[in-house]
Amino acid sequence: MTVDIQDPEQEIMRFEVLKAAVNDGATAAAAAAAAAAARLGRLAFPGRAPINTPNFLGVTSRGTLPHVTPDNVSQHLNIGGVYMSLEDFIEKPQQNIKRIPPIYAQPVSPKLPTPLYSFTGMPSSVPIILSARRLPAVPSPLGNTNKSVSIFTNTGFQTLTTDDYRAAVSTLKPDIAIPLADLTSNTSGPPTSKRALRMAERTDEWIVDWFSSSSPPPSTATFAPVLPIPYPIQWEYLARLAEDYVPTNQLSGLAFHDNPDLLPDIAEHCPSLLPLPRLSLIPSISTTPHQVLRQVALGIDLFTLPFINTVSDAGIALNFAFPAPSPPPSGLQPLGTDLSLPSFATSLTPLATSLRNCQCYACKSHHAAYVHHLLAAREMLGWTLLQIHNHAVMTSFFAGIRFVLETGGEELFEKERNRFLATYEPDFPAGMGERPRQRGYQYKSVGGGEPKKNKPAWGKLGPDTPPAGEGQTGEEGPETPVVPEGQTDTVEELEKKGFAEEVAS
Amino acid sequence: MSQSSAALTFELVGRCSTTRARASILTLPHGQVNLPIFMPVATQASLKGLTPEQLEGTGCRLCLNNTYHLGLKPGQEVLDAVGGAHKFQGWKHNLLTDSGGFQMVSLLKLANVTEEGVRFLSPHDGSPMLLTPEHSMSLQNSIGSDIMMQLDDVLVTTHPDKARMREAMERSVRWLDRCITAHKYPERQNLFCIIQGGLDLEMRRDCCKEMVARDTPGIAIGGLSGGEAKDDFCKVVQTCTEMLPDLKPRYVMGIGYPEDLVVSVALGADMFDCVWPTRTARFGNAITKNGVLNMKREMYAADYGPMEDGCGCQCCRPVEEEGSLGITRAFIHHNAAKETVAAHLLTLHNVWYQLNLMREAREAIIADEFPAFVKKFFAGLYPEQENYPSWAVDALRGVGIDLLET
Repeated sequence: MTVDIQDPEQEIMRFEVLKAAVNDGATAAAAAAAAAAARLGRLAFPGRAPINTPNFLGVTSRGTLPHVTPDNVSQHLNIGGVYMSLEDFIEKPQQNIKRIPPIYAQPVSPKLPTPLYSFTGMPSSVPIILSARRLPAVPSPLGNTNKSVSIFTNTGFQTLTTDDYRAAVSTLKPDIAIPLADLTSNTSGPPTSKRALRMAERTDEWIVDWFSSSSPPPSTATFAPVLPIPYPIQWEYLARLAEDYVPTNQLSGLAFHDNPDLLPDIAEHCPSLLPLPRLSLIPSISTTPHQVLRQVALGIDLFTLPFINTVSDAGIALNFAFPAPSPPPSGLQPLGTDLSLPSFATSLTPLATSLRNCQCYACKSHHAAYVHHLLAAREMLGWTLLQIHNHAVMTSFFAGIRFVLETGGEELFEKERNRFLATYEPDFPAGMGERPRQRGYQYKSVGGGEPKKNKPAWGKLGPDTPPAGEGQTGEEGPETPVVPEGQTDTVEELEKKGFAEEVAS
Repeated sequence: MSQSSAALTFELVGRCSTTRARASILTLPHGQVNLPIFMPVATQASLKGLTPEQLEGTGCRLCLNNTYHLGLKPGQEVLDAVGGAHKFQGWKHNLLTDSGGFQMVSLLKLANVTEEGVRFLSPHDGSPMLLTPEHSMSLQNSIGSDIMMQLDDVLVTTHPDKARMREAMERSVRWLDRCITAHKYPERQNLFCIIQGGLDLEMRRDCCKEMVARDTPGIAIGGLSGGEAKDDFCKVVQTCTEMLPDLKPRYVMGIGYPEDLVVSVALGADMFDCVWPTRTARFGNAITKNGVLNMKREMYAADYGPMEDGCGCQCCRPVEEEGSLGITRAFIHHNAAKETVAAHLLTLHNVWYQLNLMREAREAIIADEFPAFVKKFFAGLYPEQENYPSWAVDALRGVGIDLLET
């Protein structure tokens, strides 16, 4: 990856719109239509690799892309940046309840120049976006107050005040920070209008605090949240962003909460917000590429895509390309391949069976058969290889989007978007693979008594069978024991495998 | 001084003038490896989360797969269809496989050894099955490992029945003959014999004579690491190495604690394997020259140093160096038992530690400074000499090193 070498003192961030829909400027309606359209851009931070937009960010958990070590991030991934959440770093452990989060005192080095880089080892070419909460976030039953939001750490629910969050951003110096928004954790539907009004008022107050204090630090760009409520309820807040913070260059971008449909209203009423880069914080793990394309068409520049981690955990290799292959294959194509299916046991194809040219490390170095085996054996490398492949597929997907926009503009993009819709199934396959990371603090029980998500891996053969191990005796328990309970092999199958023979008893 | 067989060359390049330690170069079908060596265990054709590229980056050129596990998953049919385990797992370097018998006997309690082979109950439905030396060879031929192990009749070394122990030893010799006959590719895969005989030194000597007479390209000492006293372990290793030919590699199976490696090298052994370093990594433990540190302890939460000061692994080496990841104890603590990445990083470190320990031992042997290396190693682990394990002091005294001398 090449990095931008502009003078760090000079500018926090540079965003250029390279190509947008033509705006004849005649009417506000024309401006609105032009604003809510796909565009090409380039976002650059000093010291980081520039991001060509539209593009996506990897979603981290506890400062790391799940299953991908930092060396693999720099050698085998090509992602626009990563999303990190403060709640992943500030738990209060029971043994040491007063502990100051260790990341705040993390020393830095020229190679890993901010605490977020030096604490996590994330390569410094990768831009980091910091927000308060994980994606997707566990809903908190506590609710927010006038001066704080409720967050969920490894050790439980906690209150994060606006002051503490600003102080954290000053210390951690992310490339982009998203100020706190008063979001509702009510998942049963849109907030009531009374609640929506409060959301807008609080977020408005908090943004005033944010910009009037000494934070954010000069090296951090602020992307203000756009609330998931109708424009008429938050117009005052958005107008303040446009009138007070765009002219002063304090506001660098907008962070949509999965609601790009507000863009036409913003274009009509707050046109000075239009040149800012637009990030869509997609909270859902079931968002599909079709929905991503729709948001691109509405003018979103950057995406967080938590579904990538989810499909990898499910044993699925993404298997789509944009533009869709031509001529189109007959019938709707699946968006991904479930490599845990038995048909891949001897498959010497790359991971993505219909992407013949996937250049990712996993496809170039390994076969579907190996990943199938790793999933069946529940070896961690399976998920690592899937993560590398699935992120690479998304990198190509966005490169395809930019290529189409560059060569054919909006018109070709719409045509290709429709062809993509007609080529691929609407949803990802479920994935039969056993999931890692299926338990853990990032999931909250919803009342207890839920069934186990993975079947038990290994059982005892007989009532008196001792705990099994790999051959190392010692105090440590079973790790790769010998009796796979889920194994469906009959004696005949075992014999066929060459694994010993049946004898008459 | 060197000696070759069809698929292996063993070249002795250095000897310690005090102890029985040796340094050598072993050339195998997938390249050269330097001995003494620690071999990490990729039980199910994957080294616990590391890509083959990352494993290669630790300097590893020879690792293990387990025949038992590969026989169950993916199975011989798949291995044949894919073209062997190297291709299956994308590993360009050497592989060693065990016979599959050890897991069967030690872990499946219902297994029963007869002259024919190991009888056991199917893990699926409990129907009786039989694993013979011929099956084991056939599976290992399908795997295509560079070093294959004979099927042996393994008993725990502490087995009380001397007659049964001798029967097992003698049966292992007969099974070696059947393995040699059944081995399809002696020109590209090396079959090693396994010395048995429990803790009975006389029986071990008898076994050595029989096994050496069969002239396999390499020789393993088996049945150890089963809970016997360390003194007994050392006596067995020393008794065997004294009888073994100089120009063949000597492999002590299932050994992995750093002290055991260093003492075994002093007693004249060359090769070792164990799951402990990679398994303990997944429990959050880092192996260091000052002992094993559990990164999950609260004391490491704000420790911004590397897992081990002065370590040259990718995680630990100074951050400004090329290729360093700048991983701190604080980050490992942050994610140990929470994200798999912490386990991967600890695995990278622990494998590097074990390989480097053997690399340093080798350099010391070649420079004929091995006794000083051993003393420094123990001083790092135990700040007070009074805490030195007596078995190690005694075993090393037996080969001319006085650990307690200042």
